[in-house]
Amino acid sequence: MTRYVWRWLAVSSIWLMAAASAETRPHYGGVLRVMTHTVLASLDPHDDSGLDSFHQCSVMMLMYDTLVTTDASGRIQPSLASSWQSQNGNRRWQFRLRHGIKFDDDTPLTAEGAAASLRFGNSDWSVSADGDSVVIEVKDGDPELPAELALPRNAIAKRNGDGRPYGTGPFRAMEWNPGKKLTFAANDNYWAGRPFLDGVEIEMGKSFRDQLTALDLGQADLVEIAPEQLHRASLEKHHVVSSRLVELVALLFAREATSVEEKNLRAALSLSIDRGSIRSVLLQGEGQATASILPNWLSGYGFAFPADFDLARARAELEQARSAMHAIPSRTIQYDASDPLARVLAERVTLNAKDAGFSLQPTVSASADLRIVRIPLVSADPWIDLTYTALLMGSPLPRTSGSVEEMYAAEQTLLQTQQLIPLLQLPVSYGSSGNLNGLEIRLDGTVSLASAWLEGRKP
Amino acid sequence: MDGAVYNSAIPGTIKSVVGKAAVSHARSTVLVLLAFLLVPLFADAADWSAQEQELSKKIVKVTGTDGAVALTFENRSSLGRRDSEIVENGLRSTLANLGLRFTTGDAAAVATTVKITLSENLTSYVWVAEIRTSAGEDSVVIESAPRPESAVHESVPVSLRSTVLWTQPEPILDVAVLEESAASTRLAVLGAETVSIYRLQNGKSQLEQAMRIEHNRPWPLDLRGRLMVRPDRSLDVYLPGVFCAESPSMPSAPSCHDSDDPWPLLPSLLSAGSSPRAFFAATRNYFTGVLTPALGKLASVPGFYSAAFFSREQHVVWIFVGTDGRVYWIDEHNINKQNFDGQNQETKNLDWGSDLTSVKTSCGAGWQVLATSASAESGDSIRAYEFPDDEAVAVSAAMDFPGPVTALWTEAGGETAIAVVRDQQTGSYDALRLALACGQ
Amino acid sequence: MMFRRKLLTVFALTVFVSVAAVAGLVLAVTRPAFESMEDQRTAALVSQFQRAFKEQGAEIARRVENIANSEAAIRMTTALNANPGDTAGYFELAQSFAESHQLDFLEFVNDRGVIISSAQWPAKFGYPDNAFETLSAASGQDAFLKNEDLQDASALGLFAVRAVGIGDHPIYVIGGRRLDKTFLSTPDLPAGMRVLLYQNQAEHFSPELLLDAGAGKTSDSTRPAEKFESLIDAVRQYRQEMAAVVRWSPDQADDEIFHAIPLMGAGKNPALLAILLIGNSRRPYVELKRSIRNSALLVGGAGIVLAILLSSWAAARVTRPVEQLAAAARDVAAGNWNTVVDVPGNDEIAELANSFNRMTTELLTQKERLVQAERVAAWRELARRLAHELKNPLFPLQLTVENLLRARMQSPEQFEEVFRESSRTLLAEISNLKTIIGRFSDFSKMPHPQLQAVEVNEILRGVAQLFQAQFHADGREAITCNLELEENLAPIAADAELLHRAISNLVLNAMDAMPNGGTLTLRSRGHDGKTIMEISDTGSGLTPEECDRIFTPYYTSKQHGTGLGLAIVQSVVSDHGGTINVRSQPGKGTTFIIELRSGREALANSAAMTSENA
Repeated sequence: MTRYVWRWLAVSSIWLMAAASAETRPHYGGVLRVMTHTVLASLDPHDDSGLDSFHQCSVMMLMYDTLVTTDASGRIQPSLASSWQSQNGNRRWQFRLRHGIKFDDDTPLTAEGAAASLRFGNSDWSVSADGDSVVIEVKDGDPELPAELALPRNAIAKRNGDGRPYGTGPFRAMEWNPGKKLTFAANDNYWAGRPFLDGVEIEMGKSFRDQLTALDLGQADLVEIAPEQLHRASLEKHHVVSSRLVELVALLFAREATSVEEKNLRAALSLSIDRGSIRSVLLQGEGQATASILPNWLSGYGFAFPADFDLARARAELEQARSAMHAIPSRTIQYDASDPLARVLAERVTLNAKDAGFSLQPTVSASADLRIVRIPLVSADPWIDLTYTALLMGSPLPRTSGSVEEMYAAEQTLLQTQQLIPLLQLPVSYGSSGNLNGLEIRLDGTVSLASAWLEGRKP
Repeated sequence: MDGAVYNSAIPGTIKSVVGKAAVSHARSTVLVLLAFLLVPLFADAADWSAQEQELSKKIVKVTGTDGAVALTFENRSSLGRRDSEIVENGLRSTLANLGLRFTTGDAAAVATTVKITLSENLTSYVWVAEIRTSAGEDSVVIESAPRPESAVHESVPVSLRSTVLWTQPEPILDVAVLEESAASTRLAVLGAETVSIYRLQNGKSQLEQAMRIEHNRPWPLDLRGRLMVRPDRSLDVYLPGVFCAESPSMPSAPSCHDSDDPWPLLPSLLSAGSSPRAFFAATRNYFTGVLTPALGKLASVPGFYSAAFFSREQHVVWIFVGTDGRVYWIDEHNINKQNFDGQNQETKNLDWGSDLTSVKTSCGAGWQVLATSASAESGDSIRAYEFPDDEAVAVSAAMDFPGPVTALWTEAGGETAIAVVRDQQTGSYDALRLALACGQ
Repeated sequence: MMFRRKLLTVFALTVFVSVAAVAGLVLAVTRPAFESMEDQRTAALVSQFQRAFKEQGAEIARRVENIANSEAAIRMTTALNANPGDTAGYFELAQSFAESHQLDFLEFVNDRGVIISSAQWPAKFGYPDNAFETLSAASGQDAFLKNEDLQDASALGLFAVRAVGIGDHPIYVIGGRRLDKTFLSTPDLPAGMRVLLYQNQAEHFSPELLLDAGAGKTSDSTRPAEKFESLIDAVRQYRQEMAAVVRWSPDQADDEIFHAIPLMGAGKNPALLAILLIGNSRRPYVELKRSIRNSALLVGGAGIVLAILLSSWAAARVTRPVEQLAAAARDVAAGNWNTVVDVPGNDEIAELANSFNRMTTELLTQKERLVQAERVAAWRELARRLAHELKNPLFPLQLTVENLLRARMQSPEQFEEVFRESSRTLLAEISNLKTIIGRFSDFSKMPHPQLQAVEVNEILRGVAQLFQAQFHADGREAITCNLELEENLAPIAADAELLHRAISNLVLNAMDAMPNGGTLTLRSRGHDGKTIMEISDTGSGLTPEECDRIFTPYYTSKQHGTGLGLAIVQSVVSDHGGTINVRSQPGKGTTFIIELRSGREALANSAAMTSENA
């Protein structure tokens, strides 16, 4: 008898183990419920008013495809374009389109259509169709052009004049309640194969806390996790996936530092900030303190910009500024009121600056001397990111590319304007329910649901 | 460098590191071989000379050749130890050829310093030389080299092998191999109440000695113990609140006494005698966190279950698995750089279990940390990790076991580790030797 | 009427004065009572507040204690004892505790005074708590007030400190609640009271630092916070409880009495952290005062109206008999002797009325008696006159008859002679008797005047004409007749014949009064709607006694008058509604003055009278 029970137990435990890991093949069906903090303003990829958010890029990439994509190693891979070549010193690029791809409105993707789409927002390109190819001609040779084309804002969309853009992506937007909910259904005829999921429901404008609660209650399958909550989320045994460090938190001054004393002042501010404490306490050890714009994994030299915390030097710099300016005026530091991290960060920076003898005043008003910004990585191509950041700072870089050393020089030039004081590099993190598989986080921090699947739900 | 950098073909430099050392892992094993992966050997030597030349020229352009420079290296890239050494040596010789003289020690404080960091980004190896001239001016010169097509992190550069040393139904706390030869092996097995010495010969085992451990207090529930082999091959036995020393004069009767002497965290061989010891809670299953000698200014860390460390060129990094489940990351380099309120202990959120230890190998970066997994599944697993760029990167596949790992200690030699696994199906305890094989 | 008004005034004044006196008295009694009640109310509120403070403090201390005893705090303390540097993990602990324990302020501070976690200022982790010395000393004690520095301001709070005393390094839990509107509004305030808090955070008074538990805004245009400045400054200076009345508007009801209580901090030299202002509206008092006044006015007014009504009723009751008496007296004066005053009751007025009635009755009786006496006297006079008149002719008759009788003895011639003589005399005397009797008969048969429009001057001229011959008759001295007639006199209503006879009688009288001649003057004139006729002689005149009796019938001053002439004249004049008077001085003549109503009125009246009589 006893022997029998033991045998039964042994068998059943094996069975249980098998059940726990039996579902190794992807499962078709199910609607993925996603919650996000950010609110999508538009479904048009060319409406770049909000394309700097990971969430929006993720959503765009559900609906649209780009000519090429970036793989996990940052290399360009074919997508709508099956192959490409450059001529004339990277001045003329020809992308050959895949055959048989259809937009959501069942019209085929043509080279003309793709060219028309690409002309949006790229006025300095000369885009034309050449047979089944899209030809892009740029004035100066641009080796980063494919990486540029992999950006969500260069996704191929078709406009029929009904105000609604159509894409070729794995999902189709079915219902859009602006600011609240967005529903997608799988594109059965997706050229790269129908996604496993039947649909995706995105509820927007949810606070991070609400999202975690919803995940706990099983009301959501995929939620965003703020970096400062990442530690707790992992302690609470949530399934958490994080990207690489893809978001720069920095102080951005409204104006360039023109005078020497202003530069002293900003150097003092940078030196007075204890990034280590901010990281270990505010972010609970997540992310990385930084003094560089690009994360180290992308540039390879990030550590060469020391994120020193040196109050003595800060005071010395401030003393120099004071001797020239007589009195150091108080500055206002703006933060996004809807961003709890930014608020604490602003307050902490204020405290740190006060230690050095520099007075800051946190505010939410838009007209501040400096503000806390979050600059997302837009591309796996460091040059594009650098250009983007430079654009944000208002001191555009000439569109260029080159060696790592040149990139370092460019970044150093940007940082020497002292308009931007990098503080932290953050990952983008997502919490998922236990039955979500195949979730892929791209290099730029966006989520790909094309091959995601849900366990244990009836198709 | 011309055109599209990302398209260049890169030699598989990592793989070349593995071959040479692979043989040394093929230690003789007596009992059942659970897993063994053949390691294909690659021997493509990389040619870094062009980049070395370029970087050296750039460095000399800044420093000039008048004075001596203090040159330091750090490898933050996925380059293996051997490759990094090749690069380091290459750079040294190129710089020397360009007329640069090197200095070390105290003189470095006043001389021009050059710190060369081997780093990388997605597509390239990035070598950064941070130069501080004796006048105090800082400059940075950079040279990059394309990286191989296949992403290093995705491959598994080393593989984990395990051999079962001993199996018994009673709990095993630790196992120490006292003698090992092709013919026979002498093995000390630490149980809850005894230390048994076995001789294994021709597939048979023979109990040579069974030494009883005297203790006044009852043992804690989750008993842990440690066997340390002295150079004279006598044994030190560490148990919670009890220390037994095998007296050379009376080898069969270890003298046990109540003691809260700190336990050595790692074999002295590994850390060249400077290994800190840690006090173990007498009635618990963890180290109190008090270290002796202190790690720099850090005399204590939170209570922990296990510790590992690995050495970088300049400094040592300690990793503790705290009783709170967190992994504490203590970079000796940063300990003295007191941040605010001593918050120099970073914590990492890793999916690790309570046990970890480190081994020094010739694979990869030269140091690997073996860690159990935190998964709540019935079985347990151990995986090897490296830490390029301070991020934990798994360098081996996880080795699964049919039950929980109850002990994980580095062996006296430092290159292998002992793991004790309780087989949930049979209920017996297996003492395994874990070794790393370089390459896939 | 005056009497009644006076009576009313007296009544109203009495009511008003008494109501005013009562109101004043009530007010005088109410004020101290109300003020002491207000004082009690304020004192009760102050003690209620202090109790609430204590309770709040105890509650805060309890919550802080709970936090200090919580597993998480103990775990943290243990962990930090083992590794004091590793505070990162507790960054959010204070916030979550503050939320779950409903505290506005919560900080975990280590034994070196370094903030581990702060709910009110999360960014302040790792910084030292400035007030740590005081705070750690307050550990385990009651709650106390403290100014807490915040990011951009400082806030007043009630704090408690508890230590998690595990190991060598205790962790201090410093928790508190903000002294804000919610805190102030925690005790239920009676209506009309309000509580304000002045946070003493600036050197000078600043309206922004004033918190009102009730209103959204402490300072509106009607209640500017500046009004508190003097009170607050005084409390700041003397640091003791004070009270003052704050006037918000000219309306006294808006006034509030504010008790200012200084709230001190903890420590050796406690700072004045805030001033609690407990305001008590004076509206109830002022309104009570007003309502007393208004009721007094209302009651007074109503009393006056009521007094008027009542007193007019009472006065009517009192004065009606008096008025009746007055009217009756007037009636009596007017000749209505029969007037009777009917006053019921038996009070003095009734007695007076009865006396009056008795008096009139008595007067009537007296008058009747007098009339009877006069009638008897008249009859006597008549009889005497009649006897006298009849005796005068009777005596010659008797003598003649006796002569006859004696003459019969004489010769027939003589007799004849005597007989004839005697017959003549007898006839003359009988005729005389007849005349006398005819006169009496005429007087008794005096006709009622037939009124017509008559020209007075015509009548006067007619009479003068009639007697012209006699004035100059032989045998007597001539009489000059003068006519002084006012022309254009309005005709009067009169019986021309009777008037003619009356004036003729007067002229005859005048002629009789001037046996030695004289001047007779007939005058006519109009005066005041009347026509006046005067007949003056220059005769011997009349004594005043004669003047008094001259119109009495059968009175005559003449030797051979019947005494009826002037009586007939008076009768005619009287029948015409006129009057006749005599003015005379002995020796200087006599003037009879006849006044008759003239004009249309007299005519109409006369017509009416005529028709009536007809």
